[in-house]
Amino acid sequence: MSKEQFVLQLAQRLSGRWTIPILLSLENSGGRFTPLQRQLDIAPARLSDNLKQLSDAELIHHLTPLERRHPLLPEYKLTEKGKLYREAAQAIRSSEARIGHGALSAKAWNVPVLVALNYQHGRFQEIRRVLQPVTPRILSARLDELHGEELIVREIADQPRPSFVYELSSLSAKPIETLTADLSSLV
Amino acid sequence: MFVPGFTVWYSVKSIERTLAFYTEKLGFEVLFHNPEWGMAMVKTNTEGCVIGFSEAETVEPSTSSTVFDVADIEDAVSKLKRLDVSFSGEIEVIDDFVKLATFADPDGHSLMLSEQLTEL
Repeated sequence: MSKEQFVLQLAQRLSGRWTIPILLSLENSGGRFTPLQRQLDIAPARLSDNLKQLSDAELIHHLTPLERRHPLLPEYKLTEKGKLYREAAQAIRSSEARIGHGALSAKAWNVPVLVALNYQHGRFQEIRRVLQPVTPRILSARLDELHGEELIVREIADQPRPSFVYELSSLSAKPIETLTADLSSLV
Repeated sequence: MFVPGFTVWYSVKSIERTLAFYTEKLGFEVLFHNPEWGMAMVKTNTEGCVIGFSEAETVEPSTSSTVFDVADIEDAVSKLKRLDVSFSGEIEVIDDFVKLATFADPDGHSLMLSEQLTEL
């Protein structure tokens, strides 16, 4: 896998309403369910589902009641892979803060689209190819939303045939460039 | 090496439900309660002996019992039964040694009452 593929995949894995918040809050809630749930203000069943997905992706390890020697010790711990993903999550958070348009990563494909544009993949089919398995419908919706928020610029190119070409806007270019470099340094 | 003091810790599903049981039914006093962290401790009526609770997503009922000494086991059992504490089985007697009664807390952690029949 190339560095670019890795970075795009990392950005995609870190999307969703709760993925980044959980990775960033796990350790300061002592790895325990209740403090984490209170800190994130998330429904318990929802948190369980999300933790299950993160365990399946091997980003966190769920300790069995027998492995926990004391009820105050962590129920969940970040794996080595999870620690790497947390670094990436922090990089995404700080770029979101610089952009100032909220938690872009809460919606699937937002951040990967921006990063793909930073890699100069400007045409729809090209973005779609590097971000597979994204569906054309979702990709087109995200491009519209990002365009609406002025995070990307859309221009018409004549060559080789008339089509839209997307680019990062002045608002997003610098933060996404930094983000790409940060994610890339984690490979 | 040791100083006087003894703590038993349990993982529980809900701190509030647990504290209601240990204070209202067993009559112990809350020593400390932090709802944000889902943890609490109660004082037993033995100096330095406390029970701690911490919320967990998955709780395995503990089979090793914490045993509380009582003066009159029949009396204690019927008092707790009036408070809807359910006991498993009848009072068991180990001749000339001890009388035991087994019950459980809301998470199924095994607890017992014991009346000594002889001076140790």
